Amino acid sequence: MARMKLEGVGVAYPIYNAASQSLRKQIVSISTGGRVSAAKGQVATVTALDDINLDLKDGDRIGLIGHNGSGKTTLLRTMAGIFRPTRGRMTVHGRVSTVFGLGAGMDPELTGYENIMRMAMLLGATQREAEASIPGIEEFTELGQFLAMPVRTYSAGMTTRLLFAVATAVHPEILLVDEVLGAGDAAFQEKARQRMSDFVARASIFVLASHSPDLMKQFCTRMIKLEHGKIVSDELIPPDPPAEAPATEPLKERTA
Amino acid sequence: MFVNSIADGAADLAAAWKRRQLAIYLAWSETVARYRRSTLGPIWLVLGTAVGVVGMGFIWSILLQQDMESFIPSITVGLVVWQFISGVVTESPGMFVKNATMLVNIRMPVYLITLQAFGRHLINLAHNLVVVLAVFIIFPQYNSWTSLLALPGLLIVSINLVAIMQLVGILGARFRDLEPLILAFFPILFFLSPVIYRPGQLGAAEAIMTFNPIAHYIRVIRDPMLGVVPSFGSYAIVLALTAVTVLLSLWMTGSRAYRLPYWM
Repeated sequence: MARMKLEGVGVAYPIYNAASQSLRKQIVSISTGGRVSAAKGQVATVTALDDINLDLKDGDRIGLIGHNGSGKTTLLRTMAGIFRPTRGRMTVHGRVSTVFGLGAGMDPELTGYENIMRMAMLLGATQREAEASIPGIEEFTELGQFLAMPVRTYSAGMTTRLLFAVATAVHPEILLVDEVLGAGDAAFQEKARQRMSDFVARASIFVLASHSPDLMKQFCTRMIKLEHGKIVSDELIPPDPPAEAPATEPLKERTA
Repeated sequence: MFVNSIADGAADLAAAWKRRQLAIYLAWSETVARYRRSTLGPIWLVLGTAVGVVGMGFIWSILLQQDMESFIPSITVGLVVWQFISGVVTESPGMFVKNATMLVNIRMPVYLITLQAFGRHLINLAHNLVVVLAVFIIFPQYNSWTSLLALPGLLIVSINLVAIMQLVGILGARFRDLEPLILAFFPILFFLSPVIYRPGQLGAAEAIMTFNPIAHYIRVIRDPMLGVVPSFGSYAIVLALTAVTVLLSLWMTGSRAYRLPYWM
């Protein structure tokens, strides 16, 4: 049983500029009795999330929407346990996996195979599980001989194929995804969509941050809108058209 | 609070240790990647050390009026241990910043990054040991069972270095002046440490060696290889420093490491 509960969760973090991030400043502030650092405006604090209340259970398919900088990615990172909430409480049951920041741990000098091992193990697979995922990735990416070549020789589309395949090779209970289906040719897009569906279907809880109304409709049953780090709307997505309203609004945002 | 933080830090270390397979794979593949496009590859590591040992051994044995047979084994171990310590310490403050993409995108024990970085230095050390081995075959006069005492020495120093890496790494991510500071001042320690010379050769000035921890790190590894059992004092200092840095690094990890993604 997977479950994720956020109660009044807030994330605020200081932005250190060169002045406050340096040792000298700290030492100076000690020697002058803290006056320097006491001056207001030295450290700006960004409140990225504010009073988020969510209770996600098995079968939940959540779509996160909102402007750039509205807190979607921060919320995903908080759910993933990368950012620790500075306020509120969060409880998580189930193995969480993330599909964002693709390419973390990728080394362009290494071959496709070596990078599969590195990235899959970073995502939580054991060495054996990572090795076992290789045939599936070979088949899905259709990169053939290129998998034995350094990744720096790949085109952008080929790299995307590899990253996407690795990211979807490990099956978590709670799956957090930041918009990924962007690159690749049309045939690959279709294939990626198929693999994504299988991947999402296996997860108990699924959260997707995206600007694409089509993706939302395909994968999500509930849409949460963020603005300035707060939840401003939380509604069910009607299963079939006429779903004109949620389809047009995010589109406008995108072009704005 | 202090005890809780240490427990949190220890949990992070335990989680990283459980995934040491990954740390080893990351360290190994990164070493492979660095040398893949050169013909001699990692042999350059060995060659670099060998050239340094021969060159410095030759010059300094003349300058210090030492006979090469006793001097070259001493400077070889001194240089290899120095490179190990200096490599680890100078990489530490920038380590987490360099791995920022991992830190902000994947949830992982913070110690895992330290273990993989330290793993790379261990791989370098293993390459340099080829030179050490060759030197002790050519100049066998010191070889005895006492030499084996170098292994526990190396183990304690390694544990200490992992703790220092984690500690300095977290501090360096928060205070970005730490990296240039260490890069500027650490090389001077080369001359204040008994790498080229041995503490006994300093005469009256030997006392300054007591206060240089690196001198003791070198002694617990090098002395046995030169047939001398390291002094109790050196062991005591190295063990005490290890205990303190391990506790501090665990505490720092437990109380501050969760902020690392915010500092990137």
